[in-house]
Amino acid sequence: MVSVDSLILIAIIAGGALLLLVIIFRLAWRVAEPNEALIISGFKTAKEGTGAVELHDSLGFRIITGKGTLVVPGVQTVRRLSLDLRQSDLAIDCVTHQGIPLGIKGVLIYKVGDDFSSIANAARRFLDQQNQMDQRVHNVFAGHLRAIVGNMTVEEMIRDRDKLTSLTRSSAGSEMEKLGLIVDSLQIQEIDDPTGYISNLGRPHAAAVERDARIAQAQADQAATEAEQEADARKAEARRNSAISQAGFQAEVDRAAATSQQAGPLADAAARQQVVVQETKVAELEGQREEQRLQATVRKPADAKAYEQTTLAKGARDARIAAAEAQAKEVELQAGANAQRVKLEAGADAERVRVAAAADAEHVRLSFAAQADSVRAVGEAEAAATQAKGLAEGEAVRAKGIAEADSIKARADALLQNQDAVIGQQLAENWPAIVEAAAKPFGAIDQLIVLNGAQGVSEVLAQALSQGVAGLQMARTILGKPSRPANGQDAEELPPPKGEV
Amino acid sequence: MVGKIGRVTGRIAPGLLGEVMIPVRGGTEAFHAYAADEGDVITTGTRIVVVEYHPPRTVVVSKM
Repeated sequence: MVSVDSLILIAIIAGGALLLLVIIFRLAWRVAEPNEALIISGFKTAKEGTGAVELHDSLGFRIITGKGTLVVPGVQTVRRLSLDLRQSDLAIDCVTHQGIPLGIKGVLIYKVGDDFSSIANAARRFLDQQNQMDQRVHNVFAGHLRAIVGNMTVEEMIRDRDKLTSLTRSSAGSEMEKLGLIVDSLQIQEIDDPTGYISNLGRPHAAAVERDARIAQAQADQAATEAEQEADARKAEARRNSAISQAGFQAEVDRAAATSQQAGPLADAAARQQVVVQETKVAELEGQREEQRLQATVRKPADAKAYEQTTLAKGARDARIAAAEAQAKEVELQAGANAQRVKLEAGADAERVRVAAAADAEHVRLSFAAQADSVRAVGEAEAAATQAKGLAEGEAVRAKGIAEADSIKARADALLQNQDAVIGQQLAENWPAIVEAAAKPFGAIDQLIVLNGAQGVSEVLAQALSQGVAGLQMARTILGKPSRPANGQDAEELPPPKGEV
Repeated sequence: MVGKIGRVTGRIAPGLLGEVMIPVRGGTEAFHAYAADEGDVITTGTRIVVVEYHPPRTVVVSKM
């Protein structure tokens, strides 16, 4: 029993010691993960360090990557530097090479370099400030980015990625090397373009693309529509052809049906037609038979009767003609006799009348001749008497005319010799009429007051009478009327007619 | 580092800091690169050989 207890005790102690040993080793042994580096500083670090060969004359710390190492607790310290990818967001306002202001948002992907130099540089700068590394890098890289953008145009920034990375390397590479950092990538995520440069940049292309798209769409639409319309037209044509064919077939069917329907009636009609034909022939034959019968029974007797009557009528007519001719001859002869008789009677009458007329004419002629002789004798006697009478009268008138002519001639001579005296005589003879004529102008005056008494009256009359030729003419007209029968011209005109008789 | 063969990922030209990818420590890392011949232009994708190494992360390369 004792030995068993002591064995158990020994085992427990041994186990405890082993456990203790494992714990101590576990505390002293450190392993570097693939994404980190161990920075060991302290006792004997410079001599034992795996990667510290190059750092003998350096600051004297050891860098372990990718494996484990024994660290003596208390005399050595271990710090871990992450080699992970880090990211720093950049947001800066900058100006491009063309002077266009842009707001750029980018992201910088970086890490601590994998070589010992970079790890040492980074470790000396950021070991206690690994959380602030992003801020530091941001501050450093903002200026670099501003310089990078200032060396580029907007178009290059958008398209020329090679230039962007190249400029990033050349401007920021050495600076980052100091910090032990490697720029894996610089990405520009967002460009804020307050002036609208980028949108304007793309607008022509967008318009062209839109134009092409619309053209293509329109053409496609047109082609589709044409195809559809053509298809519709083809369909309509096919439908039309089909309808035509169907109609044609239907017509044939109808025709056949109609023909089939007509077949019965046609057959009937044909049969009836033949019957009618036969009946017609029968009727014709009957008609002929009837005609023959009538010829025999009616016409022949009628012809015979007509002939008989004609013959009789001809005989009667000839008899009547002969009678009429005889009568005409008779009348003619009688008329000739009558005419001869009348002519003779008329000749006798005419001779008698002519003789009587000649006697009358002679008688009348003789009586008229006697009467004419008597009348002529009377006329000649009267003519002689008249001639004698006329000569006597003519002589008497001529003698009277000569006497008057002489008297007028004497008066005319007297007038030529003393016209005033004659006028005065005639004036005296016709004074009352003159006075009446001269007083006519005063007749219109109711009361004539004469201042010089009787002498004044005579003066007035004298003035009235002495008013030139007018007054004398008036006087002559007044005088001419009563003395016209004594005018010589009338007396001379009278004798010639008497002289001619 | 010297003699390693890598590939250009950023154009190397005069006045321009290029970038090359070089396999190192079991992975590939990007190094700043200059051309060995002044005025030489090495475009992206060209294979290069490291001529010089300037720690920590700069190399001088030439076209293979």
